[in-house]
Amino acid sequence: MVLAEPLSDVSAPGRPPSRPRSPAAHAAVAGGASPAPRAGLAEVAQRARPVVLAGERRLVVPGPLGGILPGGGLQRGSVVRIEGAPGAGATSLVLALLAAATAAGEWAAVVDGESLLGGLAAAEAGVALDRLAVVRSVPTALYGRVVATLLEGVAVVAAFVPRGFRPADARRLEARARERAGVLVAAGAWPGGAALELRAEHSSWSGLGRGEGLLGERVLRVAVRGRGAAVRERVAELVTGARAAA
Amino acid sequence: MAAARMLCLWCPDWPVVAVRRADPALAGVPVAVLDRGFVLAASAEARAEGVRRGLRRREAEVRCPGLVLRPVDTVGEARAFETLVRAVETLAPRLALDRPGLLFVPTRGPSRYFGGDEAFATRVLAEAAGVDVPGARVGVADGTFAAGLAARRAASGGVFVVPAGGSAAFLAPWPVRVLDDGDLAGLLVRLGLPTLGDFTRLPEASVLGRFGLAGLAAHRRARGAEEHPPASRVPPPELELDDEFDPPVSRVDTAVFAGRALAERLLEELATDGLVCTRVRVEAETEHGERLARSWRLSAGAGAGAGSSPGSAILAERVRGQLEAWVNCDEGPGRGDGGRSADDDLVTSGLTRLRLVPEEVVVAGRSQLGLWGGDRAAAERAGRSLVRVQSLLEPEAVTTPVLQGGRTPDEQVAWVPWGEDPPLPPEQSRPPARPDRLDRCRGLCPTTVQTSPAGGAAGGNGVAAGWPGAIPPPAPAIVFRPPRPAELLAASGRRVTVSGRGEASAEPERLTSPSLPGGGGPVEGWAGPWLSDLRWWDPPARRRRALWQIVAAGVACLVSVEGGEAHLEAVYD
Repeated sequence: MVLAEPLSDVSAPGRPPSRPRSPAAHAAVAGGASPAPRAGLAEVAQRARPVVLAGERRLVVPGPLGGILPGGGLQRGSVVRIEGAPGAGATSLVLALLAAATAAGEWAAVVDGESLLGGLAAAEAGVALDRLAVVRSVPTALYGRVVATLLEGVAVVAAFVPRGFRPADARRLEARARERAGVLVAAGAWPGGAALELRAEHSSWSGLGRGEGLLGERVLRVAVRGRGAAVRERVAELVTGARAAA
Repeated sequence: MAAARMLCLWCPDWPVVAVRRADPALAGVPVAVLDRGFVLAASAEARAEGVRRGLRRREAEVRCPGLVLRPVDTVGEARAFETLVRAVETLAPRLALDRPGLLFVPTRGPSRYFGGDEAFATRVLAEAAGVDVPGARVGVADGTFAAGLAARRAASGGVFVVPAGGSAAFLAPWPVRVLDDGDLAGLLVRLGLPTLGDFTRLPEASVLGRFGLAGLAAHRRARGAEEHPPASRVPPPELELDDEFDPPVSRVDTAVFAGRALAERLLEELATDGLVCTRVRVEAETEHGERLARSWRLSAGAGAGAGSSPGSAILAERVRGQLEAWVNCDEGPGRGDGGRSADDDLVTSGLTRLRLVPEEVVVAGRSQLGLWGGDRAAAERAGRSLVRVQSLLEPEAVTTPVLQGGRTPDEQVAWVPWGEDPPLPPEQSRPPARPDRLDRCRGLCPTTVQTSPAGGAAGGNGVAAGWPGAIPPPAPAIVFRPPRPAELLAASGRRVTVSGRGEASAEPERLTSPSLPGGGGPVEGWAGPWLSDLRWWDPPARRRRALWQIVAAGVACLVSVEGGEAHLEAVYD
């Protein structure tokens, strides 16, 4: 509209309407006068586009965690590695990714060899429990096969990888994830490569004093590094567990 | 999961019983009931002459010349059965009706009240005899399947009780054809497994791998382990269907017509969700505000398809029979006070509402589907790969967390094997009526309602609320089962203990555990101790422990102190 104002000044009465206009003015008039064909064209272009681009096969992760992930989510068919010392928040990161998957209507599975996952924490993280399967007490010899079988049908598989998992098995799982377009979230001693690495660096808790208060807010410092555009490490602080009642 | 103890009341040849009730002159005369030219049921006198179910009319007449033949009268059967149901209902609630002539009662409460299964069963038989139903048989066993067979084992007018926990041994000698799965039974016989006992000796994982979920269900039934096929879940309320009548319907056939349409719609809607109803409650409301309800069991195979499948025909038949029975019920002798005398008003005041509530549904196919929407194809794919993992490991290895009541984060989650029932419906897993007396939680832990942000929406079983002494949120992401050893030390270097009054001996200064990074460290903050005194009325099983929330060396964890020993219960990872 700003462009249209000088135009009306220029076109004095009596001038023929077929007067050649500047390109910018022309575009403004065309855009303002006929929005419907433009939208129709865009729709046709959308329909005629040949392939789904790799960057669109993503599982969107909402919230601040998604903000620091490349493309705002997880690339389907890739391996995401999650690291962190116990207590730093690695398991919470895994649960956040599972919550994003189940919120998108996908199924998620956890291979929890030592039966350590807290189910209540999963529910609190927002994981839809009716679309979550947890495979517990998996012998190390069968670990690779179990994860591979899950990747066939489940969109996001989180595996707490035991010590002594062989790199060859890891490569096989990576290939399986790529082939089935699943996301393998590998926590623990993952010996293979990963398209994306999330490292829980530190959690600091507030709300708990010496003999008073309760665990409240947690600030989880997480570093994200990936391949390609995300090769530069990005660090963010996620705030979770803000208590409503307190 | 142990199956609930069930009583089965079976009246053989119910069509004959119904015909004789309608026409007392037929007592002692050989009678057969015909369904489209074939014998459906025959009286004992007729059977003694060789009349069998499935005979042609002419052959039956040849075998037994004096045979009185009557056409099948489903409405009369349902009406006669209603009398019996009312009689049994005076003894026990929550009847599950299977078909006219067969009903199941969970015995847990009634048996305790009447002083044992035998006593309860005898009372049921007496009630049946009281409404003039001869030759009824009663079987009691763990699980519906075993109870049904126990009733078949019982003598006419007798009781057969399988002792608790004895269902597997009782079932073992039965032939596999009692599993109600013709294909499976034929295959098993050809494999050289003629009895249920032979079948149950196969490992569960192999059965699952070879025969799929239906085979696994049969395997569990054969073991007497579970009463329903796997994955029977409580359906969400939006699957209820109801029909309001304005003006009220006073004619039975109008109501029956509406009921049939309702039944078809219900099964169709369930079928689009890939579900099959195994138990449905028929509810009716009248103009005067009476509410009538009856639960009917439907066999799991019925109604696999939509529309005019046999399942919807059976369900429509049940609805029709029930409505007819309510409207035209003949009050039995001495039943005038029997709880539901308001039923007679149904005749004078019309029906205003008819509702079908699926009480129990199972997944129709071999694969599991999410009940609450989502992509069905994704659910099927996931279900298939989960079943494959189950056969790779063992069925119990693949679990789904289900929220339940409890105090510690570990107690608040039940890990239900994939495809099985959740342990108890949510209302039963709540604490007893007066938890303050049963579990004396005298801690400082806030007893306010715990509001987990996703708990309610997550599993449909959001029951994490309302347990006094529950550890408040957030929940720890790592829970050690069993707890790992730890040391909680005071500044003096001695262990911190907790007195019977819930007071700590000293302030904790240092928490060490091999499971913590760096072996632990100085305590930065703590809350607690919260004392929980579990099962104090049962000295051998009594546990007293104190729980602490502790942040040590930057790691938040949950520590328990029991008998002077500290354990690392969970880490807030």
